[in-house]
Amino acid sequence: MEFLDQPVELSLDLCLKCNICTTVCPVMAVTEAFPGPKYAGPQAGRFRGGEQLTPDASVDYCSGCRACNMACPAGVKIAEMNARARGALVEQGKVAPLKRLRNNLVARAATLGQVAQPVAPLANLAMGLKPARWAADVFLGIHHEAPFPPFSRESFTGWLRQHQAERRKAAPGAPGVGSVVYFHGCSTEYYEPRVGKAAVRVLERLGYEVIVPRQNCCGLPLLSNGEFPAARQYHENNVRSLLPYARQGIPIVGTSTSCTLTLKEEAPELLDMHDEATRLVAESTYDFNEFILASGRLTEEVLSQEIALRLPYHIPCQYRAHRIGKPGLEALSLVKGLSVVDGGHTCCGIAGTYGYKTEKYAIAQAVGAALFDWVTGFGAPLAVCDSETCRWQITHATGIPAIHPVELLSAAMGYAPEGALRDVLQLK
Amino acid sequence: MRIIPTEILVIGGGATGSGVARDLAMRGFQTVLVERGDLSEGTTGRYHGLLHSGGRYAVKDPLAAQECIQENRILRRIMPGCIEDTGGFFVQTPGDDPLYAEKFAAACQQSGIPCEDVSLKQMLREEPRLNPAITRCFRVPDGAADSFLAADLNAASARAYGATVLKYHPVLRLLTETTAGEDRRRVCGALCHDRIHDEEVEIHADLVINAAGAWAGQIAGSAGIAVQMIPGKGTMVAVNHRIVHTVINRLKMPGDGDILVPAHTVAVIGTTDVKVPDADNYAIEPWEVQLMLEEGEKLIPGFKKLRFLRAWAGVRPLYQEARWADQPAQNRDVTRAFVLLDHETRDGVAGLLTITGGKWTTYRKMAEVTVDKVCEKLNSPRPCRTHLEALPSAAPAQGGTGHAHSDAHSGMRTHSDGHAHSLGQRLAEIEREHAYGQLICECELATRRQVADAIRSGDVHTLDDIRRDVRLGMGPCQSGFCALRAAGLMAALAPADYLPAENGKMLRDFLQERWKGLTPILWGQQLRQERLNELMYLDVLNVDHLGEKAERRAAASQAADERPGDKPQSPASRRGTPAGETTLVIGGGLSGLSAAWQAARHGQSVTLISKGWGANHWGAGCVDLLGYAQGDLVQAPRQALQALIQAEPRHPYALAGLETIEQALHSLQTLCQESNYPLHGSLAQNWLLPTAAGALRPTCLAPETMIAGDCRQDGRMLIVGFEPFLDFWPQWIAGNLQQQGLEAEGVLLDMPGLRARKLVNGLILAGLFDQADFRRQVAAALQSVEHRRRLAGAQRIGFPAVLGLRHALEAKQHLESLLGAPVFEIPGLPPSIPGLRLHHILIEAVRKSGGQVFEGMLVTDKQARPAEGSNGPALEFVLSEAAARPKAHRAGRFILATGGILGGGYSAEADGSLHESALGLPLAAPQREAWLQARFLAAEGHAVFRAGLAVNAHFQPVNADGQVFYENLYAAGGAIGGFDPLRERSLEGAALATGYAVGAL
Repeated sequence: MEFLDQPVELSLDLCLKCNICTTVCPVMAVTEAFPGPKYAGPQAGRFRGGEQLTPDASVDYCSGCRACNMACPAGVKIAEMNARARGALVEQGKVAPLKRLRNNLVARAATLGQVAQPVAPLANLAMGLKPARWAADVFLGIHHEAPFPPFSRESFTGWLRQHQAERRKAAPGAPGVGSVVYFHGCSTEYYEPRVGKAAVRVLERLGYEVIVPRQNCCGLPLLSNGEFPAARQYHENNVRSLLPYARQGIPIVGTSTSCTLTLKEEAPELLDMHDEATRLVAESTYDFNEFILASGRLTEEVLSQEIALRLPYHIPCQYRAHRIGKPGLEALSLVKGLSVVDGGHTCCGIAGTYGYKTEKYAIAQAVGAALFDWVTGFGAPLAVCDSETCRWQITHATGIPAIHPVELLSAAMGYAPEGALRDVLQLK
Repeated sequence: MRIIPTEILVIGGGATGSGVARDLAMRGFQTVLVERGDLSEGTTGRYHGLLHSGGRYAVKDPLAAQECIQENRILRRIMPGCIEDTGGFFVQTPGDDPLYAEKFAAACQQSGIPCEDVSLKQMLREEPRLNPAITRCFRVPDGAADSFLAADLNAASARAYGATVLKYHPVLRLLTETTAGEDRRRVCGALCHDRIHDEEVEIHADLVINAAGAWAGQIAGSAGIAVQMIPGKGTMVAVNHRIVHTVINRLKMPGDGDILVPAHTVAVIGTTDVKVPDADNYAIEPWEVQLMLEEGEKLIPGFKKLRFLRAWAGVRPLYQEARWADQPAQNRDVTRAFVLLDHETRDGVAGLLTITGGKWTTYRKMAEVTVDKVCEKLNSPRPCRTHLEALPSAAPAQGGTGHAHSDAHSGMRTHSDGHAHSLGQRLAEIEREHAYGQLICECELATRRQVADAIRSGDVHTLDDIRRDVRLGMGPCQSGFCALRAAGLMAALAPADYLPAENGKMLRDFLQERWKGLTPILWGQQLRQERLNELMYLDVLNVDHLGEKAERRAAASQAADERPGDKPQSPASRRGTPAGETTLVIGGGLSGLSAAWQAARHGQSVTLISKGWGANHWGAGCVDLLGYAQGDLVQAPRQALQALIQAEPRHPYALAGLETIEQALHSLQTLCQESNYPLHGSLAQNWLLPTAAGALRPTCLAPETMIAGDCRQDGRMLIVGFEPFLDFWPQWIAGNLQQQGLEAEGVLLDMPGLRARKLVNGLILAGLFDQADFRRQVAAALQSVEHRRRLAGAQRIGFPAVLGLRHALEAKQHLESLLGAPVFEIPGLPPSIPGLRLHHILIEAVRKSGGQVFEGMLVTDKQARPAEGSNGPALEFVLSEAAARPKAHRAGRFILATGGILGGGYSAEADGSLHESALGLPLAAPQREAWLQARFLAAEGHAVFRAGLAVNAHFQPVNADGQVFYENLYAAGGAIGGFDPLRERSLEGAALATGYAVGAL
């Protein structure tokens, strides 16, 4: 179809005004602050440009969840149009300085992590202080209840160095089926190293040598805050660092579904990076589950341990936006004894950094309300979700810990689980 | 007959006429202007909107060029609100004469036109879409003008100075008299026809100004004076959005298709110049459109592939004082300078001046010269001031045109605001006012306030008049969503002489007017858009039959609901697909969902993938099986189906067979029953249910929430709408129902809770109706003193089809118990809440049966296994578009349920070819010339929409020789060609029956 190669802005010409997007937009359903995907996207798009690039600041209330894109029968790239309109707002100085400072704070998990992780206990203590949170709310616009996870005391890459050293000692030069680059993302590095550990173990068990090259934040939080130049810098760095592997045909695999989507599509598309290097990196990038399923090595034999749990599962919007189905669910269906149920909810509301913001926190909670009710009503000790911010949102709203599918796969392979999964399995 | 005496009569309400009227009035002449239609309905409203710098004529026609630049400066001063300072480029594209550039620069200098040499780098920075192969670029002070607004403001100014402006007053003939004693005739006025009141009016004047443009010859001719106009048709094409923000001219001698003007939200490419014998009767030729596209491609690579909104033509009032035979062979060689003919000296007939030729840009100068002549004739020298005094802008209304004022209450300004004519302004205003819930025309952001102001001005007689005032219906959907809203609003505001009988016609006329401008450019996405408009106005609203009294009464019968009794429960399995077979369904509309559901029920492992959602979200939420056969209302579907099956053996219904159709209906009824959302009806009879246009639509199965509205039954209806829900106008609906012999009354509920909302659409109302509390509020509002009497008189109560998304049946029953009368829903514009309910029920059914459903997946390619031995070729997998790389879907069986043109199953191209989108199957296309009918609502339908795949008895797509393309490929729903589900009103029935059949195979 011709519209596949339509640039973002031209895709507004595909709109039939048919309103299907408005039936799926989770934000429009709960707030009047956002005029809806049809209005903010292709409709307003015809009025932007010329003297007034983006006179409609309400477009900033789009959470970027892409439910509209997925439902649109015509192929309008609504979420991307909205992201670009937001980028224009920032570029034109239409975002108040304090708000922009706030956006940059919440969008720079990597910087934050670099500063805070070495003093994790202290940082966590500060983050937990009510007066501090209120001050951030009042002065910066970061909601005092925003679901920030605690910093991990140990970094993922710190663990990895040790792990790889031990592995070399134990089995020097063991023959494998090939190499894989692991893109861990900021959350694994600073907050949830257990996800990365599980991923490395699973990949190694499947016979792959795991390489973890230098990497930046994928840039998505910056993109979704309209900070395009900074995002471009991040992405250029990542492309530079990942390109040599992509050139050798080594797949790049990530457990964060939003990071992998950014590498695959968001960054090149939003930033108009269509060079060969960016394209090659994009085409070499895989979601973790997508990759292990395609490898054909994830057999019931490998998944030897039974996990007798029935758990609620939520597929993140950014995962759906890969348009590859539900590989997370598919992989987990191979685990003996495990039953994972998809509730079919559109969005948890957090949308990256959206739900952290004072003016959007309540919207994000309302968007996720049905999901939260369902998770709570499910009565399981854990919930499963592939994206970090969604997990934190679910846990924040329900009090139920949320884990990544890879943690279950790793446990099913017999590796010792960590965190909430360990607690649950120990209890059993 | 009325007689209106005046000093001066001006004939023509275009730029020139309204400009002359203003000048006359400002100089104190008593003035009457008559216009045969609406202001700027002629050439003024049909040009590309270019404010010339004069650059275009600098080399060839220096006189015209000088006039242009002088007036350009004046107009920027006196009508800033009508002019957008876009600036203009003259660019040399490959193949253009390189020597022209120097001539151009020199000529501009001579004519006093500022002309700056622009570096190509700078040019591309400002206009990145321009052809990088352009070799030269000059900047000149071109601009974009809103000619509708300018004429309105000139007329408003004239009125403010005491002139009378009479629209819809065509001149029947000039009146002449011969003064006693003299042998000379003089023109002393004109006989007009007041089309509003249908009476003749004589206007007596000392002097008549003929400013009728291309029609000036006819006017003069009615007094026996020969003025040989050369009507020069110019065709223009509008691009869906503003691809450039600067006027782009080609740096060459003026020719066809060499100007691209950013105008409001669109960019207009023009024009051709074709001599036409009749200024009222001309067609847009395919070559003209083709030429615009080819020339546009030279300016902007990829231009041809853009979406085009519309094509139209205006007729230039070219004039050269010469005999017809001596005139230039090419219209381009006729001067663009204007002429003033004094018929006293020219023809010996006093009392008449003709002003013609010229450009929109020079209209004011033309007026000045004309009125100078008037002063001379009447021996009353008075100086011109039109170049000194700005036109009224955003001035308070003075009983004037209704669009030259702002509304103090809302702060929302109509389009005459000083800065209205710049891209982004409307969006900025709506943002400021949070008015996005008040849009009548969503594409062009025309608010209810603006449309209401136009209507209230009393100067609006058609929906097209509103269009010229507020750009109603001028965007991508070309009136799809706004026509109904504007018609309803017009009825709600009910001017004194409002006749509901006129309303259906008014709506249809507007749809037809839009259609006329669409047909030359209907392919690709715009054709798809038109199909959606057809779905709305035919299938859902039944506007094509609005006002027909049909054999409604004859059909009246008590037993509408033949409950499905002992129908066969197990679907016939014709092929016996083994359980466990993997089936991939492509398409998420009703046909795809039914196929997936049936296949999953039969134990197949089913995955449904779909680019997005489909017609369930747009339709009425009923199952239309067969509503019209050969244009006649179908009352008993079973008999009509039998006849159809007999007559058209290739029709999907014939392939499915009556038994399968019945089973399909029955299975859906059972499913809906189990989902607590019963569908009622049977093959015995069609329901006749009211629509949001007040028409009556035949349908076979209707949800329980709708059936109390059955119009074959008697029972006084109360139709209830909600402020500010713009898709449902109860007075209008009731008026139209009354006109069809039904008892109905409308009431618009104004509830504070809804008023306080910024946006009230169907989804929001449905969410509210899911809550018992809101239902109680609605009932209380209806039982209030204000509405109690109406409620008491009602035997049934109709609401828009928004009575809950999740708890519709409960909502209906609750309302009935609160109101004490049967309640029913009336379907309207998308999104369809009843359709969404069915969609959710079916998705749930597929999942419960073990199937999977994925949206956002567009199939773009396939892999097939070649024929082997006795086995024909078969599909191995299809590929769907995904982030970074396509995703493969393997299956044993593939069901193509991608729909027709509207669903995206196939696309129609400008070259007349049709493409099947998913698998690239060859399609037979009707001749390009035969694609479309002249009438939008033509009963026979448009041939292009009947195209589609041919299938065999097992619904397998076959080639022209009847051989299957792939052994394991089936088709369902709109992907199958040979029928027009919208004309037949068989959209859901055909989807359901074929989906059921292939799913259960």
